[in-house]
Amino acid sequence: MICCKECIDLLYDYFEGSLDQDTTQSLDEHFQECPPCVAFLNTYKVTTVLCRDTLNQIEIPDEVRHTLKNFLKEHKNE
Amino acid sequence: MSFTQQKEDKKAEELLVRDFQAGNLEAYDKIAKLYQKKIYALSFNLMRNQMDAQDVTQEVLLILFRKINTFQGKSAFSSWVYRITLNASYMKLRSKKKEPNISIDELLPSFNGAGFQQEKIQDWSENTESLLFTNETREIIKKAVDLLPEKEKVVFLLRDVEGLSTENVGDVLNLTIPAVKSRLHRARLFLRKKLSGYFGASNSKKGEI
Repeated sequence: MICCKECIDLLYDYFEGSLDQDTTQSLDEHFQECPPCVAFLNTYKVTTVLCRDTLNQIEIPDEVRHTLKNFLKEHKNE
Repeated sequence: MSFTQQKEDKKAEELLVRDFQAGNLEAYDKIAKLYQKKIYALSFNLMRNQMDAQDVTQEVLLILFRKINTFQGKSAFSSWVYRITLNASYMKLRSKKKEPNISIDELLPSFNGAGFQQEKIQDWSENTESLLFTNETREIIKKAVDLLPEKEKVVFLLRDVEGLSTENVGDVLNLTIPAVKSRLHRARLFLRKKLSGYFGASNSKKGEI
């Protein structure tokens, strides 16, 4: 059986689905017998989602949008 | 977005770029509109300052306007825009006093000689839902991302936040695909560990990041 370290090193490719069948199966077998790695897997996955959902909510504030609009107008007439 | 839709958007964008290169100013307005939010968001996430992000967005829009003819279409137009945005943001960051980065290695998982995990791993993935949209949680997450070392942060922002493909991130940063993957994996490990300190702490007492 593969060890936790190998398992965690391969997590990225495991999520991308880019591992070959045998390796994926080895990871699945490891997860069945290793609750700490399952916890690691779940929290690794949720970390990506949490960070993405927090950071991609950034909108341009109205005053910045206004400044940009004026800026573009000015420079297009150069 | 469907694959066909993506393909059509890309085609429409190529057409806009060509029109603008031929001197059509309306095409430029459309390009600026399409990209200003992306430019602002990426620079804001790198600098976490509204004024600086505004300056960078202006600068990038101006470069797009003046240097459009230097874009040769060898890589995707979006890659070109992201590359200019990163350069402008780094110039800005360099002019400011920088806080020392913490070493990423300290936050990577540790294993014993047999390759088994050494620390106790808590599964807090179920605890996050009720906390996700509170301001406190958002601040914790932003703070964790701000602590990422530059190399890992930029890969993380482009790939996981902006949603670029691994290939496009490699294109923007001039990195091989294995290098992109390895930096992204390290960034996620770092963030997981940082967030564990917060979400994994007992509910009665929230941990500090």
